[in-house]
Parts: sequence; C-alpha cells; structure tokens
Amino acid sequence: MSAALRSGRRFTGYRVAGAIAAVLLALVMAWQVYELFDGDDFTRPVVQWGVPQDGAELSGVLAGEALAARTRLQRDRFNSGPAPDADAPSLAYGDELFIVTAPLDDGAVLTGAWARPDEAAAEVARPSDRVIGISSLPYVNADLFERPFARDWRVGIADVATHLGAIAIVGFSFLLALMLAVRGRVPILHGHSDRPRVKRFGLLERMVHWMTAVSFIVLALTGIVIAYGETLIAPFSRVALGDIGWLSAWAHMMFFPSFALGVLVMAVMWTLRNLPERRDLTWLARGGGFFTDADDSPPAHKFNPGQKLVFWSAVLGGLIMVGTGVTLMFPYYWLDLGGMSWAMLTHAVIGVLLIAIFIGHIYIGTVGMEGAFWAMWGGDVDRNWAEEHHKLWVRDLEQGANRSPAE
Amino acid sequence: MTRVKFVCDTERCIECNACATACKNEHEVPWGMVRRRVVTLNDGTPEERSIATSCMHCTDAPCVAVCPVECLYQTDLGIVLHDKDICIGCGYCFYACPFGAPQYPRASLFGSRGKMDKCTYCAGGPEPNGSEEEYRKYGRNRVAEGKLPLCAEVCSTRALLAGDGEVVGEIFRERVIHRGYGSGAWGWNTAYYPEEDGA
Ligand code: HEM
Repeated sequence: MSAALRSGRRFTGYRVAGAIAAVLLALVMAWQVYELFDGDDFTRPVVQWGVPQDGAELSGVLAGEALAARTRLQRDRFNSGPAPDADAPSLAYGDELFIVTAPLDDGAVLTGAWARPDEAAAEVARPSDRVIGISSLPYVNADLFERPFARDWRVGIADVATHLGAIAIVGFSFLLALMLAVRGRVPILHGHSDRPRVKRFGLLERMVHWMTAVSFIVLALTGIVIAYGETLIAPFSRVALGDIGWLSAWAHMMFFPSFALGVLVMAVMWTLRNLPERRDLTWLARGGGFFTDADDSPPAHKFNPGQKLVFWSAVLGGLIMVGTGVTLMFPYYWLDLGGMSWAMLTHAVIGVLLIAIFIGHIYIGTVGMEGAFWAMWGGDVDRNWAEEHHKLWVRDLEQGANRSPAE
Repeated sequence: MTRVKFVCDTERCIECNACATACKNEHEVPWGMVRRRVVTLNDGTPEERSIATSCMHCTDAPCVAVCPVECLYQTDLGIVLHDKDICIGCGYCFYACPFGAPQYPRASLFGSRGKMDKCTYCAGGPEPNGSEEEYRKYGRNRVAEGKLPLCAEVCSTRALLAGDGEVVGEIFRERVIHRGYGSGAWGWNTAYYPEEDGA
C-alpha cells in the first residue's frame, strides 16, 4: 500500500468538465429564478380576429361591432321591439365567412384589461363558489358547475411543481458540478489494491437494479417531456412537441410496470440492510467524509446512511409514484375530482424531487466516486474501496468468511 | 375591444336541454362527449335552478397555462381554442378547469385519453376558418360568419346569452332591474375576474 494518499483533485479532466457544467447550470438556474419572479405567468391571447381590409390589415373593431350587433339581437322583446314591424335586423348574416384569424403578438395587455371588471360587470358577477348540482347525463362530473379550486391547482402544477421542480433539479445538479470542480472525484485513497476484489452485489441484485434504473430513467425523461416540453421542445417545433409528447405519454405508461416490480423486489432484497442505526447520525453529521481526502471516513455497514436515504427515496418515493400513477390511469374509479387533483399534484411534485435525488445518485455512482460503478456493473469492488467506504461491512465479511466462504 | 362571454340566467333556464342538443348536433360532437350540459341545483325544492354550462372561455385561462404541449390557446375575443393534432390527452386541462369543460373520448388513461374536446364558442380551431377539416375536428365555425354560439341563439327563453360581454352584461342587468330579483351572473368571477376573489 503506498504511503501517500491520493487526492481527489488530481482528476483534472473531470474537474474542468465539472466547472464548465457548473457555469452552464448556474446560468440556467439564474434564468429559472428570474422566470419565477418576472410575473408573466398568465395566459395571453395569441390569435386575433378581424375583418380583412384593403391594406391587408385586419380590423378587429369591425369584427367586434358585427358580433356586438348580433349580440343585441338577444335582447328582450320589451326593449328590442316586436318583429317584423320594427327595423329588420341589419346584421342577420348569411354563410359568408367575413371574420378571419391571424397571429397576434401583443396579447398580454388584453388579459390585464379583461381581468378588471367595470362597475356594471362587478355588480352582476356572482362571487366565486363551489357549485355542484345534479345532471341527467351519465358522465362523471357532469353535475359540476363551478369549482374555483381548479385555479389553485393550476398554480400548484405550473408554479410549484414545474418551476420550483426545475429549480430543485437544476440547483442540485449545479451543486454536484461545483463539488466535482472544487473537490474532484472521491478517490480511492490508497489506490487500487492488489488483493482480490470483494463481491458486493449478486446477479439478481444487479439485474433488478438496472431494470429499475432503466425504467426510472425512461419515466423521468418522458415525465420531463410532459412537464418541461414547453420550454425544451416547443421553441423548436410545436408539432414535434405534440408527437414527442404523445410518444412520451405512452412510454411513460409502458415503463411503469418494470419500475414498480423493481422497486418492490429492491424493497424485499435490501430493506433489512437499510434500517436506520444510531451511528448513521454521526456519519451524516460528517457528510460521510465525502468532502475531504482524509483517511478517516466514518464507518458504515454495507449501505451507508447516504445510500439508505437513496434506498428509502426509491422505495417510498417509488411507491407513491406508482400509487398515484395507477390512480391517474383510472380517473374517478376510486377517487373523485378533488382526490384526482391531489393525486396529480403529488405525482408531479414527488416526481421532480425523485429526479433531483437520482441525479445525485447517478452522479455518485459514476463520476462522483472512483470505483463505485463497478459494484453495480461487475458486482465486485476494489478491496481498498470497500475498506475506505464500508469498513464495518468488510469487517463482518471477514468474520463471516471464517464460517461460510460462499458469502 | 370586444370580449365575448357566456351567461346563463337561472331565473329563466327551464332545463329543456335544447342548448346541449343543438350543440351536439351542430358540431357532430362524438358519442360520449358533451360540450354543453345543464346542471340543476337544489333539485325538487322551491330554490331549484338550472344552469347551462360549458367552457366559459376564462380570462387568464388556467387550461392554457397547464397544457404541457401548448395545444390550447386564446384569441383576442377571449375565445379559448385548441389544436387536436397536438393534444396528448393527458387530462391536465380538466383538473385546471373551474367548470369541468374538457371532455375525452376514453375514460381511462392508458397513455392517452384521446384528443380532448370542448366548447369552441362555435369558433372552430386552428385550421382554415370554415374548412372541411376544421368542421371534422371542431365543428362549425359560426364566429367567422359573424354569428354567435348556437346554444345561446337557440335558447327559447333567452336564458343563455352569448356574445360581446358588455352587451350581454347590459341585457342581463336591465332584465334584473326590470323583474326586480334574481341577480348574479353565475361563474363570472371565477371565469372572467379571477383576481376579484382575493385568491
Ligand atoms: C445510470 C444510472 C445509475 C447508476 C450508474 C447507478 C449506480 C449504482 C451503483 C454503483 C450502486 C451501488 C452503490 C454501492 O456500491 O453501494 C447503486 C445502488 C443503488 N441504486 Fe443505482 N444507479 C443508477 C440508477 C438508479 C436508479 C434510477 C435507481 C432507482 C430507481 C437506483 C436505485 C439504487 C438503489 C436503491 C441502490 C442501493 C442503495 C444505494 O447504494 O444507494 N439506481 N446504483
């Protein structure tokens, strides 16, 4: 064993990549925070109606006048006069299409103007209220008239889940990139060992892990298309977003059974080893020894507390996702509209959080820590890696080896 | 600037369902979906009232805001329309809709619930106005002909009013003053003045 400890900072290439990623992610982050506060999160009209004029311009005023005149035909007899003695309605139109549409750029002002009722309108408008009656139609929710909560749901999905979710994902990735740039990878302090490698995960464990991982990644990517397609894909092509969105909606459903199965089997295989212990607190308080190159990382069994958190995120988070996801596939079978709304919000919020968490996991499992990846790929790890990160596990293995060499 | 609205006068609605029927026929709305329907409150009591409801074409329309594929859009008349070629049938617009307007051809979400359908204010969709294709997907485009939604125009008691919001409000107000009771435009604050509730 070489005397000098190896430093995480010698992974120069990784650190440069980390620095570049950190800068890019910081920019994205700044943009997202700006988006959160720029107050333009309202719906604005993007299409205008108008009567074509000679100079190619559309006259919205003429269209408005035509429709207003038509509206007046609905007035009551006592103020519109009996037909047909009075003036015949001059604007009882034929089949001619005379109002056309065109794109509109500056619709934002309209939303503001519409939202302010004039005195007369304020007087007639009823206060918002939840109103449900009965309906003779055989459809679910046909008896619903008004449900103001829906407006809050929009805030939940569009602002909380989507915006704060983006900030969580990008922000966490930024911290990881920063860590890589400053600290480098977590090295195998004593270098690669000549002693035999240590068996860490069996074939079944690895198969289940990768099945779950692939499923999760497909679910995450397709979920991201649905949550962030408007930002990531729509600027290039709205039609492509429709097609990719359609595909994503289907793939999102196709990959959930293997994910659900994987999470369940993982829970069965690994729960015992992931129960919390008192010692975990010390480990967490010292950040798992990840931030220093000192040779005294806090001892851990097969799964250290960081991994336990990952495990419980996968199992509990996964179960919530599967539960709400299946619920969403069968609207109103066991939940009413209110329940469905919450299921949808929960699914979205937990979904983005899990994506953030598993970006961290994938980071540690690949570039973040030297030697970690092979535990899950080939199934065995370097002896020095095992001793540095999972002292107690190695100790137990050695004691056990005297009794049963198979393990 | 004209901003169109709907209002249903519950003192006049007699739950005849002509609006719903005319709508279904005019637009050949597929089986299993309704763009307009009638909800009855306090059924069987002296306070019984019926309201014809559909998409209200809200201000700051929440459905447009939540659509993950930007298939919904609003026009400068306030009309909210959508593009069925792009819709992925995810159901978000339904959760965000204060009036339960969006409809889907399929009841369970295996990937998709099919292309969403809802009231277009008789204004078609993104296809060329009055085209065959527009008719097939969204039904008749009456607004392009200078006409108003058929549901309101067929209403025999003139309970359901559609068109220029100011005129509609005026008709409604005059009526309330004339008869001396039954004020209150149902759904207006939620649909058109979302900020008025301090929400
Ligand atoms: C490309 C993606 C991924 C890579 C490279 C990766 C890598 C790894 C590695 C190397 C380990 C073993 C760590 C050790 O030696 O103890 C591991 C464990 C684990 N992985 Fe992954 N993983 C990936 C994706 C996922 C996903 C998406 C999930 C969950 C849905 C997941 C769940 C777990 C769990 C629960 C463990 C055991 C607890 C732990 O070690 O944290 N992995 N993964």
